[in-house]
Amino acid sequence: MNDSDTGWLLRVRHLTKIYGEPISSSVHYTGPKFGTNICPETDAIVACAEINFDLYPGEVLGVVGESGSGKSTLVQLLYFDQAATSGEVYFRAIDEGRTNLLGLSNQRKRHARNHLMGMVYQNPRDGLNFGFSAGGNIAEKLLMAGNFHVGRIRERASYLLEKTEVPVKRMDNTPATFSGGMQQRVQISKAIANNPPLLFLDEVTSGLDVSVQAKVLDLIRHLQRELGISMIVVSHDLAVIRMLTDRTMVLKNGRIVEAGLTDQILQDPQHAYTQLLVSSLL
Amino acid sequence: MSMILEVKHVSKHFQLHIQNNKRIEALEDVSFELEKGEVLGLTGKSGSGKSSLMKCIYRTYLVNSGSILLHTSDGRTIDLASATEHEVLQVRRREMFYCSQFLSVIPRVPAVDVVAESLTRRGVAAEEARERAKGLLAQLGLPVELWDAFPATFSGGEQQRVNVARAIIASPRFLLVDEPTASLDQKTKDVVIDLFLELKSRGSSVVLITHDQHTLDRMAGRRLHLASGRVHELVPV
Repeated sequence: MNDSDTGWLLRVRHLTKIYGEPISSSVHYTGPKFGTNICPETDAIVACAEINFDLYPGEVLGVVGESGSGKSTLVQLLYFDQAATSGEVYFRAIDEGRTNLLGLSNQRKRHARNHLMGMVYQNPRDGLNFGFSAGGNIAEKLLMAGNFHVGRIRERASYLLEKTEVPVKRMDNTPATFSGGMQQRVQISKAIANNPPLLFLDEVTSGLDVSVQAKVLDLIRHLQRELGISMIVVSHDLAVIRMLTDRTMVLKNGRIVEAGLTDQILQDPQHAYTQLLVSSLL
Repeated sequence: MSMILEVKHVSKHFQLHIQNNKRIEALEDVSFELEKGEVLGLTGKSGSGKSSLMKCIYRTYLVNSGSILLHTSDGRTIDLASATEHEVLQVRRREMFYCSQFLSVIPRVPAVDVVAESLTRRGVAAEEARERAKGLLAQLGLPVELWDAFPATFSGGEQQRVNVARAIIASPRFLLVDEPTASLDQKTKDVVIDLFLELKSRGSSVVLITHDQHTLDRMAGRRLHLASGRVHELVPV
């Protein structure tokens, strides 16, 4: 990672999120060296700290680590689900990458979320409104990006459902009546509804049957190829990381302990924690 | 003749933190040069470091010391030992291809698409890529009924042919090939060798691992023999 590189789509520097009462040494006394993300003095939780990386156009970046390592927090900060404590995030699609997104007004953050980003959560209930139909959920995302033509919205929704292999005739049913794999596919449709250049995927296949898991992964891979979307894929599952990503960052106790090409991380892991992770692969 | 690759004093060991910090030596002070349009054979017993050296060049392994200079098609020199990941990815996309000993592909992708993908990622249209992939698979004698099947279920020899096809279809400028003819019959072996020689005649450079004397004799001009991770000899074949 080199600050003079210019090809990036998303640039993240020193991104930090602390819950509770941080003091100046909270970051210093937490992390993999101490085996904890809890500040010994104030019990503040350092969910992630000093996260630095660049994401390139069309690139798929994996984020791997155990529960509580900060990987979900990381994408939630980038999607403005949570407010960062400190750091800088630059996105080529906004002010040509000159403005730190963390300092944007709420209105501009919403605009970025609705027009330029998509998120697929592990739990479909976080990404979908179960009070709406499948089509209604997609319509919601389209409406938020300023598309008000009902005919075109329906047309786009059926196109997306078809693309993600959800039976279009079930468009007017609520996702509550769908299987887990189908709910995930509706979530993916919604996330890509506005053709965002950037998509976050947080443990999207955890909790699905293996055969359904395979189908969802195939779909994501296919969409990535076809649309060239840049993606950040969060998973605890190295098999998912291996299948989808070019590069991988390994998180532990809220810090990046290792980053590299995915094949290198899997075949020549350097950090003790990554070695443990790889050796645990079935 | 000009160089495409200069490997200088490369050493590699593995530090196994979770197994009592055991240290395994893989390569020790390996140096060699590869000329444009040359096929260099890598030989040595199992465990002598051939595949490790290849993976260091491809950056699947990180070296502990030394440099691996690649002179790229656009006239730059990059050190694969220290280049950024994005630089390595770009080189992999454009000109460096690693053909591993065993086919390792994305599951549930038909054989023809596995091969065509090498072309589509370089901007060839999908239909044309599939046509060319079929042509090459036919040349390699892969039965037509397997073209649309998933390679995971193929025999060793069938997988090998898919592997070779995806390696050469886009005529990469620099190829790393690990045992390309190991599970093939004599006739198919010669087809594969001829395809590699055709690439070479068009200027591609190849580092080749093989235990097969026939393959080595037909393809390689020089041979680098490794013993216990060190260069034992570098001689004409």
